[in-house]
Amino acid sequence: MRKFIFALLTLLFSMSIFAHGPTPQKVQESITVNVSVEKAWALVKDFSSIDKWHPAVKDIKIEKRGEDTYRILSLESGGTLEEKFRSTDDDLKKIKWEITKGKVPFTDFNAYIIVSKGANANESIIQWTARFYRTYKLNPPIPEGQDDATAKAAGQVIVDNGLAGLKKTLESK
Amino acid sequence: MINQNKKFILIILTSILLSLIYLYSNYYKVNSKAYITNQGDNTVSVVDLINLEVIKTIKVGIAPLGITILNKKNLGFIGNVGTDDISVIDTRTDQIIKTIKLNTAPLSLTSSPDESKVYITDWFKNNVLVISVEEMKVIDSFKVGKTPSGIAFNKKYNYLIVTNRDSNSVEVYNKNTKLIKKLATGNHPFGVYTKGKYAYTANVYDDTVTVINLEDWSTKDIKVGAHPYNILTHQNLALVTNAVDDSLSIIDLKIGKEIKKINTGETPENLDIHQKLNLLIVTNWGSDSISIYDLENLKLIKEIKTGAQSRSFGNFILQ
Repeated sequence: MRKFIFALLTLLFSMSIFAHGPTPQKVQESITVNVSVEKAWALVKDFSSIDKWHPAVKDIKIEKRGEDTYRILSLESGGTLEEKFRSTDDDLKKIKWEITKGKVPFTDFNAYIIVSKGANANESIIQWTARFYRTYKLNPPIPEGQDDATAKAAGQVIVDNGLAGLKKTLESK
Repeated sequence: MINQNKKFILIILTSILLSLIYLYSNYYKVNSKAYITNQGDNTVSVVDLINLEVIKTIKVGIAPLGITILNKKNLGFIGNVGTDDISVIDTRTDQIIKTIKLNTAPLSLTSSPDESKVYITDWFKNNVLVISVEEMKVIDSFKVGKTPSGIAFNKKYNYLIVTNRDSNSVEVYNKNTKLIKKLATGNHPFGVYTKGKYAYTANVYDDTVTVINLEDWSTKDIKVGAHPYNILTHQNLALVTNAVDDSLSIIDLKIGKEIKKINTGETPENLDIHQKLNLLIVTNWGSDSISIYDLENLKLIKEIKTGAQSRSFGNFILQ
């Protein structure tokens, strides 16, 4: 019993240590795709094509609001996600966007994808970086499901599945 | 005999000159370093600003973010938001000589001009903590507004200036820690900088900086790039890191407008200047690196890999 309480206390203590602090979460993953960099970039740069490659996205609607472009994503799991286009850079082969609305366990989600040359002409590397915060920003204790670990896990799934989806779509074309 | 004397004096003078040159270059070598807090891997990268390379990686507490360097005392104070403590580095040996427990998350740090005190914003409990550098412990604290983020010391007026991120304001305290002014800023002010009769805040959510006149308390907002994080000034320019734009905004303070943007690494957060070497250093959270620019023409000299999620919120250059 004493051992159990000790273990519990250790767990609680270590959790409170890691739960502290205004730390942005980072997910940065890369995948090698067996197509040319031009072909990979052509798909990645198209803000309106995510339904063709992200397995979580069922449907997409593009909305213009003044100067800004948004995509409203209907998800396979139900629910919607609204994303705002930020910019593309053809020289750097980089696209940027942010999540502006949706039932997600994180906040201030900004992301970018960079496509670069691989080892040969028919190989490219796609790198996806996401930055976001947990939803709870106040003083600990942090309510369940609003902590760093939950936010990070959700962000990781979006990026991992997205990269796998890009590879599958690009290589099957 | 006279000639020989002359020769002797010449040799002496030459050797004095040579040793002065040696001392001078050595002085710059040991006193020109950048300290980069890497929040993702709990380290500080020490960058030699003469050879432009990482010369040491120091293990600190968990999730280091804020920093202030005391040039005269050869000390670096690092705020670890994961372990709620401060790692104190001796910049002559680049070793940790003390860990100061706080029991709250240190967000940003600054020092008094005489370097006898270090001030720390306490994000969760809305305090500013005061550390005695002599005693290496917290000797005082005082209440401030909500979510205190950036902090800076104004030498001209002896003001301590704090941004309140979630209440869109900036607070000005005098040397007796008495609040003398609270002013509205743009949305979500984070970094703050002050020099002469002005203070500047970077307002993350509405892509502006607020310029505050500390004499007549007038303010002015200037449009910059996406998600500005921090700001500093150099001559008549203000330089602002735009975290989501991967750029720096260059503002001409005389006309009060952005005049150009220059590219940085990915997700640039903070910046500092080495005056004598004429270098501008920007930390890139997204690409785990720093970008080093020639301060005169703002041309990139080199990008150097540091550690995971490089941030260095504060004065991070030893000079």
